Amino acid sequence: MTIETRVPVDWQEILSGIRVDQDWNLVERCLGLWCQGRGVDAAGLYAGDGTRHRRVASWGDVPLPDEESAVLLSDGLARLELPNAVLLYRRGRELPTPGAHELLLTQAEEIRKLRERLRVQRFQQSYRQVELEAVYEVGLAITSTLNLEELAEGILLRAVSLSDARRGALYLLEDSAFSLRRTIGGDARSTVSPGEDQLERLLADCGDCAQDILPGARYTMAVRIEVESKAVGLLLVGDKESRRGVGPFRDADRRTLNLFANQAAIALENARLHRQALEKERLEREMELAADIQRELLPTGTPWLPGFEFSGWNRPTWQVGGDYYDFLKLGGDRLGLLVADVTGKGMPAALLVSTLHSSLRLLFDGAEVGADLLSRLNEHIVRSSSSNKFITMILAELEPATGRLRSFNAGHNPGLLVRPSGEIAHLRSGGMPMGLLSGASYHSQSFDMHPGDLLCLYSDGITECTTPADEEFGLERLEQLLRDERERPLPEIARSVDGAMLDFAAGSPQSDDQTLVLLRRTA
Amino acid sequence: MTESMKVTVERKDGIAVIYTDGYINNQGGEEIARVAYQLIDEGYRKLLLNLEKTKIVNSIGISILIEIIEKMLAIQGRLGFCHLTPTIHKTFHIMGLAQYTTIYPDETSALAQEHVAS
Repeated sequence: MTIETRVPVDWQEILSGIRVDQDWNLVERCLGLWCQGRGVDAAGLYAGDGTRHRRVASWGDVPLPDEESAVLLSDGLARLELPNAVLLYRRGRELPTPGAHELLLTQAEEIRKLRERLRVQRFQQSYRQVELEAVYEVGLAITSTLNLEELAEGILLRAVSLSDARRGALYLLEDSAFSLRRTIGGDARSTVSPGEDQLERLLADCGDCAQDILPGARYTMAVRIEVESKAVGLLLVGDKESRRGVGPFRDADRRTLNLFANQAAIALENARLHRQALEKERLEREMELAADIQRELLPTGTPWLPGFEFSGWNRPTWQVGGDYYDFLKLGGDRLGLLVADVTGKGMPAALLVSTLHSSLRLLFDGAEVGADLLSRLNEHIVRSSSSNKFITMILAELEPATGRLRSFNAGHNPGLLVRPSGEIAHLRSGGMPMGLLSGASYHSQSFDMHPGDLLCLYSDGITECTTPADEEFGLERLEQLLRDERERPLPEIARSVDGAMLDFAAGSPQSDDQTLVLLRRTA
Repeated sequence: MTESMKVTVERKDGIAVIYTDGYINNQGGEEIARVAYQLIDEGYRKLLLNLEKTKIVNSIGISILIEIIEKMLAIQGRLGFCHLTPTIHKTFHIMGLAQYTTIYPDETSALAQEHVAS
């Protein structure tokens, strides 16, 4: 057996040393070993792009050129073609002795072990960089995806990969329990309760106690995903892999997974806030649409009747409101003035306003108004609304030919009939609010309107307008204002009421919808 | 992505394309290696790994892929990858795999360029 075949260092090893290690000292040591094993005095390894080879490693005292192409083989050099490289070497006069052979074998083995250690070390260093990149990438995901499903998948894939786990599961907090969102490599329980014994033991680093959460896993590691110290999710990984099988996770794995979970928490929170913002935006769009629809329910102008003038004004607290007013064409050439107030505000109130509007149009258009009609309206509202919703309403029926006024008040604020003298008559309650109770009955009050008389129907948003100290505007202030302003044009009276409320509120936000309807007999 | 690795092979004009579907971990990597070495034994010197259905690889899987790469270098063969997810692409670069193999965006360009390199 020759030395050349027994020394376990060959060209392939040198080349893989160059390619994998990029450690030129080690490559030169391998080259030296090869030279000594073959009785070579000097050698140079040339690598390049296939057309031009530059010396990348050399061994021996004989000077060698920097570029392979500059060498004349007649200089006594031998040439050996290698994949992507060329070796030039000068053979020595003597082959090594058998004693030298044993020494070479020892050196070769040491170099082999050194190379293996370096390979493992460099692999671990590179993989550490992969881990850091994964943590960094989850940070980047904050801006690249706000899709919760995509994000959940990305987080779990990276967590499983980072920890060399065979399997994993991601849970997100929904209501009061952690709900399973994604799994990799095996099933997981669908929900986990915060504080449950098995979870707490798992979080306390008891790696073999999660059989119930990750069925079949021998080793499990779990970390919380926390936002402002509140757990919003759980990351579970199971069975750490090695080439020999699976084993427990190390402390370093837990630290990395915790670091990763912190980044994941930011990404998940960002996605949640984004989803919330989208939902808010959608609701706002719907509210704007509802506000448009509700504005269309209100009269666009005022009736024209010789001897009378009208005004109507409404300001909801939110985009849509629970106040409503209307001018209704009734039977016998009569005209109805109506102000209604649905309990509550916003969308639920607006929906009931819409019901009221359509019911009035169906029942009252051209109809003879009386207690029966009011009762029918009440039954309809009872059937159309939830038990805690009702409508206060005042309807003033005007007979233009005579100036006769008949009022029906279903639990609403009293209408105010202001005489030219300043005396005020109240159109008081004559029945229960609409929709409150089935079988409710209604009765009316009658008044005569004379020239100069002013009728004011309003909602409680006006009288209950408050100061920062919670003092109410009140009925008395409204009555006094109407007395003072009773001879002025109706739009100016409405503006005065509005201005007085704003002055009175002194910056307090409007707390309820406000509606004002005015009628004056001019002749 | 399926739970366990599924590997299929298509032989295309002297190039064996290995399709992976699943997690390249210890089990997945060994399955790929088994198929790759079998193809080498059949005489194939050009292998292309199509990772379109693989979204995840761990360090054990990478070490097995490196072994396959070294085996291919030893027999002066060529190993290429295609359809890598951005994360796997970055991982291969960091781990140095990209220095010894060619990474193609898709299978069509991979096959075209590998044929030219014949």
